[in-house]
Amino acid sequence: MALLKREEWQGFVRDVDWSCSYVDDEAVYPEWHSGTGKVPREAWRAWEESYKVSYPEYVATQREKEAAVYAVKAALQRSSAFDSLSEGWKSATKVHFGGVALVEFTGVLAELKMARFGLAGAWRNMAVFGQLDELRHAAITTSFGHELIAKDPQYDWTQKAFHTNDWVAISLRNLFDAMMTSSNAVDIALQLPLVFETGFTNLQFVALAADALASGDVNFANMISSIQTDEARHSQQGGPTLEILVEHDPVRAQWVVDKAFWGSARAFAALTGPAMDYYTPLEHRKQSYREFMEEWIIDQFVRTLEQYGLNKPWYWDEFLRGLDTWHHGLHMGLWFWRPTIWWRPMAAVSRDERTWLAEKYPNWEKVYGDKWDVIIDNVNNNDVEATLPETLPWLCTTCHLPCCNATQSRAGTWRVRDVRLSYDGRIYHFCTNACRQIFWKDRANVNHETLVDRFLAGQIQPMDVGGILSYMGLTPDVMGDDPDYEAWTRDYAGRPAEGIAAAVRS
Amino acid sequence: MTAGPEPEDRAPELVPLNAIFATDFTQILVPVTTANTMAEVAAAVAYHVEGKRVRALPYAKVVIYHGERLPADMTVAAAGIEPLDHIAVEYDIPEQS
Repeated sequence: MALLKREEWQGFVRDVDWSCSYVDDEAVYPEWHSGTGKVPREAWRAWEESYKVSYPEYVATQREKEAAVYAVKAALQRSSAFDSLSEGWKSATKVHFGGVALVEFTGVLAELKMARFGLAGAWRNMAVFGQLDELRHAAITTSFGHELIAKDPQYDWTQKAFHTNDWVAISLRNLFDAMMTSSNAVDIALQLPLVFETGFTNLQFVALAADALASGDVNFANMISSIQTDEARHSQQGGPTLEILVEHDPVRAQWVVDKAFWGSARAFAALTGPAMDYYTPLEHRKQSYREFMEEWIIDQFVRTLEQYGLNKPWYWDEFLRGLDTWHHGLHMGLWFWRPTIWWRPMAAVSRDERTWLAEKYPNWEKVYGDKWDVIIDNVNNNDVEATLPETLPWLCTTCHLPCCNATQSRAGTWRVRDVRLSYDGRIYHFCTNACRQIFWKDRANVNHETLVDRFLAGQIQPMDVGGILSYMGLTPDVMGDDPDYEAWTRDYAGRPAEGIAAAVRS
Repeated sequence: MTAGPEPEDRAPELVPLNAIFATDFTQILVPVTTANTMAEVAAAVAYHVEGKRVRALPYAKVVIYHGERLPADMTVAAAGIEPLDHIAVEYDIPEQS
């Protein structure tokens, strides 16, 4: 019997819908899960993905990818490649493993929600592939991280991080629960495949892969490149969904896209920014974080907005200004509060590294150099104790990251300014104006409490540094510390130092 | 119903603050009490930052609350500073003549 031609069967397998006769459509696709909103139910019939795939094709391709990536892993396991990696680069991978492994699993839940509650047969079909992709990503990331535990116990946080109350984990759970767990299918399609996957994962999985290869970490580059090949397929759920939503409810489309972009930008500034501009050894850096953002994120995002008739987000100027500050402040915060993280952050502010930073970010010395100089002088004065925290940084109510974004006044002064809101009998603080605006518009949502909120509510006992570390699940064997103080302080040894901690104490 | 004692006459109560010290890079959590003076509040904030991230300068420190410089002997209660309020601490650098 001759096989049917593709065009004769494809419609049946990729876009089968149901005509419900025993129950109402609303019972099968309830608003709170499906989220059609102002879009007429029948409008979703036009949903069509541009790149089509059948299940046998999918399985065959995925099998090849899995075989290839695990073959490389098996081969490298027998080599000593890992031992020659720099501590800085290892930290970049620890951030990734802990920050990503279980987000991928959250992605499974989001794809499953679209596979069940998506409003067109073709969409649900595509989401089935999407959840299989995310399951593979969760598995592969956990497996690769697990492999390294024997060499370094911090890799245990690949699987552990998301199950703890570490402040970084809380921040990520807060972002991704809003984006994936608690959203309806329509909003998920805009936030996850469209904004996060077509936008931001390029940065983490393509740009960071380049840094990985340059740093000699073939295994990591191989892993994240393999993951990225899946994104191109399932991320196309965003386009058709946005196209239909924009036609019927452009205000909602703009808001959901804007919010997801902002949340993603904050998280990447915290995790990818320091990895690119500080942890990756200077000689292996391909571009600065800002350059990567401009090339890989901003151009593409703006093109996407234009393509669908949306405007640039209201916060665009604040976002662009933040490219010069956010991740530098967050890097300093992660370094100063290093006992609270599961990797070893390199300060990476030797003379050569600072020259590079000042070249890429002309205001870097003015805004951050003076603080690093004090830290350097304390280290060179054998006073590392003065570089360790005794209180908490204030965490933004919306993104849960430290309120550490300096802005410049008209007079030229750089300061971290208070962005506050009095609402419902209490005072909230935010890292940026956009985080405040997002909180205000979403204020009816149930939000995670920040670590500062929990501390002040007495949930963390005893109320001291030891109690905080214990609450976050950190034990001495995995607590972060700088792997090589001398590497970035020796250039300044012997210089006169006034106004450092020892002088204040005396 | 009788009015309670004036704020400055009550037993000291804990007042957790969102604070920034001069040019520091981040806001921090600093607990003070209603009985603390502004000089003590400035010192409590400076403890975490001065000489550690911001180079110490030989000048007095001043608390700024809602854009106003508060006198060094004023208490938290008298200033009306509430839990979770924001304050900034700056060096009181004399203007160059």
